[in-house]
Amino acid sequence: MAARAETARPVYPIPWYDGRVAGWVTTTDHKRIGIMYIATSLAFFLAGGVLALVMRAQLAQANADVVDPDTYNQLFTMHGTTMVFLVVVPILAGFANYLVPLMIGAGDMAFPRLNALSYWLFLFGGIALYSSWFAGGGAPSSGWTSYPPLSIHSPGNGQDLWILSLHVLSIASLAGAINFIVTIHNMRTAGMTWMRLPLFVWTILIYGYLLVAVLPVLSAGLTLMLLDRQTGTNFFQPDEGGNVILYQHVFWFFGHPEVYIMILPAMGIISEVIPVFARKPIFGYTAIAISTIAIGFYSMLVWAHHMFAVGLPTFLLGFFMLSSMIIAVPTGIKIFNWLATLWRGNLRFDTPMLFALGFVAVFTIGGLSGIFVAAFPFDWQAHDTYFVVAHFHYVLFGGSMFAVFAGLYYWWPKMFGRRLGEGLGKWHFWLTLIGFNLAFFPQHMLGLLGMPRRVYTYRDDSLWEAYNLVSTIGSFVMGVGMLLFLFNIIRTRRRADARTGNDPWIGDTLEWYATSPPPQHNFDRVPYVTSARPLRDIRRRMAEKGV
Amino acid sequence: MLRKPLAALLLAAAALVVAAPALAGNGGFAPVDPQSPNAQRITDTYWVIVAFTGFIFLLVEGSLIAFVIKYRRRARPVEVEGPQIRGHHRLEIAWTVLPVLILAAIGSFVFYKLPGIADVPQADAAGGRLDITVEGRQFYWNYHYPNGVVAVDRLRVPVNRNVRLELTAPAHDVIHSWWVPALAGKTDTNPGLTNETWFKAEKIGLYRGQCAELCGIQHAAMRTSVEAMSQEDFDQWLEGQASEQRNPTGETALGRQTFRGACAKCHGFLGEGLIGPEITAATVANTEAMEELIRNGRGAMPPVGEGWNDQQLKAVIAYLQKEKPSGG
Repeated sequence: MAARAETARPVYPIPWYDGRVAGWVTTTDHKRIGIMYIATSLAFFLAGGVLALVMRAQLAQANADVVDPDTYNQLFTMHGTTMVFLVVVPILAGFANYLVPLMIGAGDMAFPRLNALSYWLFLFGGIALYSSWFAGGGAPSSGWTSYPPLSIHSPGNGQDLWILSLHVLSIASLAGAINFIVTIHNMRTAGMTWMRLPLFVWTILIYGYLLVAVLPVLSAGLTLMLLDRQTGTNFFQPDEGGNVILYQHVFWFFGHPEVYIMILPAMGIISEVIPVFARKPIFGYTAIAISTIAIGFYSMLVWAHHMFAVGLPTFLLGFFMLSSMIIAVPTGIKIFNWLATLWRGNLRFDTPMLFALGFVAVFTIGGLSGIFVAAFPFDWQAHDTYFVVAHFHYVLFGGSMFAVFAGLYYWWPKMFGRRLGEGLGKWHFWLTLIGFNLAFFPQHMLGLLGMPRRVYTYRDDSLWEAYNLVSTIGSFVMGVGMLLFLFNIIRTRRRADARTGNDPWIGDTLEWYATSPPPQHNFDRVPYVTSARPLRDIRRRMAEKGV
Repeated sequence: MLRKPLAALLLAAAALVVAAPALAGNGGFAPVDPQSPNAQRITDTYWVIVAFTGFIFLLVEGSLIAFVIKYRRRARPVEVEGPQIRGHHRLEIAWTVLPVLILAAIGSFVFYKLPGIADVPQADAAGGRLDITVEGRQFYWNYHYPNGVVAVDRLRVPVNRNVRLELTAPAHDVIHSWWVPALAGKTDTNPGLTNETWFKAEKIGLYRGQCAELCGIQHAAMRTSVEAMSQEDFDQWLEGQASEQRNPTGETALGRQTFRGACAKCHGFLGEGLIGPEITAATVANTEAMEELIRNGRGAMPPVGEGWNDQQLKAVIAYLQKEKPSGG
């Protein structure tokens, strides 16, 4: 046996830190970190989705008894916090990690070790949040917004773990954001001017700047809340002179840009996918890039539209209505540009394209319902009701998550050298699209009928029950779609015919120049970039030379 | 070739737009049937936004579907490129300016309707005005009438009279939001701060609403209702309450309401225990201990009665002492 082991030893022994597990734990390779980000986020997506299904089970009928009121409050708090902080933001960071260096022709991120630190902080932040299920008093139960004084009165330590988790996640995101900004500014390959930058990279740049601008504000607010809870200060408690509104300003100054942090990179993914599957250049590249900057800028001027019912002076309400409506303009520009990109194209409907088209279809509804809630007198009816729940799910699920799925199907071949199954992919898409609309469209009606959000039960009115039941059915249809996606991932790993070449979609951007999956150093050499579509340029030059 | 389905689509959409107002208030396609001028103006605003956004919705979804059908690959090889169009300045300017104009129109309409929604009518306006103070508390609403009468969860008002609500919450409590959709949009009750809103119920009837800001474990149970009654009925009711609340003994309306609003949501409708423990006959027998408990709370129980007037405290204890030993 000793002799056999002797002969099996490779000529160049693999060091321990390149082992199958240790290789991932010790890695500073942006591609592995990106994949870990995405895998971890998908695991949290599964957890957050299960929480949502339990809630929908409770709400399927009036006065149901699936969970008790306290558990229900914990469920929606954990669901919201999970989806925002542990799914959408980090999965986009995962895409950015994997793609930004490849798209700009760099070998890695500017600070690879800081990058690894970001990931591990993210993982531990998530674990801190989920450990709160075992804390005294259970998980936090004041909603993902955690308004004081409710969050300060909240018993047990769930709320404290929530604060700890968000603090850790903020540091992770901040370090990641700085890394992206430095990388994009300094490590673009020769010829890649700002106007030749892939639109996804543009959105990541603005994502980074927004995170740097607003995360410290969140951290400050969380710190004050922690002090109020644990040391007897009274920043937010009126009985000792504090102000209950202050936190809402602080939170939403972070919270609204956070919405755009979650949607801009999603829009970037759509801007990459649609041109490739339409075989056309993106329509209005400059307008899309500039509208990304405009959305980023205006997103910091709209926070109080979450506070229309608080009792702010009317001139402030007017200002925040107008600033919120202004954001609809650059958003509309993007949608019109995507449509114009489809016009006269040669459209192929592989799963990435289906999800991208689904994004355009449902995100438009979310954008339009945003105009309703921006009009503050109407918001006095819609605020904190299921109308708003429907609105932000159309934006965050119909928007961000549809784009995430488009991106996963699109870049899976680059990441693993294998294509996800098309048949299962199409089932996944249609179940998601149908289930999504069944689940969330009736919630607009529920809100208009008077159903507030965050209630564990509701009036046993037949219409309320009907819409809630439809919504619950839709959510489980989506759940089935997600299980098919999981099954697709597992099956793709095993199927030999899933293997694919370096550039299965005939892509435009530099990541398709690398092998699939790319080697650790990404490129042996990087071609000089002559336009926003360097790979198409190369294909044309080769065709001209008759290669 | 494409014109026919597109036209059919537009026609169907137009039919929907026409049918929708006919169904207003039914089915949740518009806010709850407004029964107060301010709620009516909010619903007007809603329909204006529906008209504009409906147009954009049809434009975007219609062209999306049309392009998907018309420009699908069919038999073309995948690598065939479409025309390499990179943009079109005039078109891009058009779809920047058009949304600006639409939003300006919506914004203008909002500001046009705003005074009739947000401005509380003057006290000397025609028909007079009733001023009520609303306290949002975990998990009930305490309504205070100008003559000192207190009501819990159900607000009775005369029909066709302006009602001004002054909304607040005790400093130790949390944020709530008062909302009766048929009568007015929601307004938060912030601890330590004061807001105001108003309505004028135009029909006799019962209007339901509930707290719209997460306020804790029984947020879902923090419901309210407004009962609009004729002026005579209202005067009679208010007079009756004023005399009953002067010295509440035995079973009074205030005692019953306060029990149902402030106690029952956590202790059960028979006081049998729910989130909080059972209310026993032995506990309620000790008046002084009860006062202390209700005013200051204990453990997980919030100080539900902090700031109550003596009559309300007396009424609920009297109610409990009468009801509880009889097993009620």
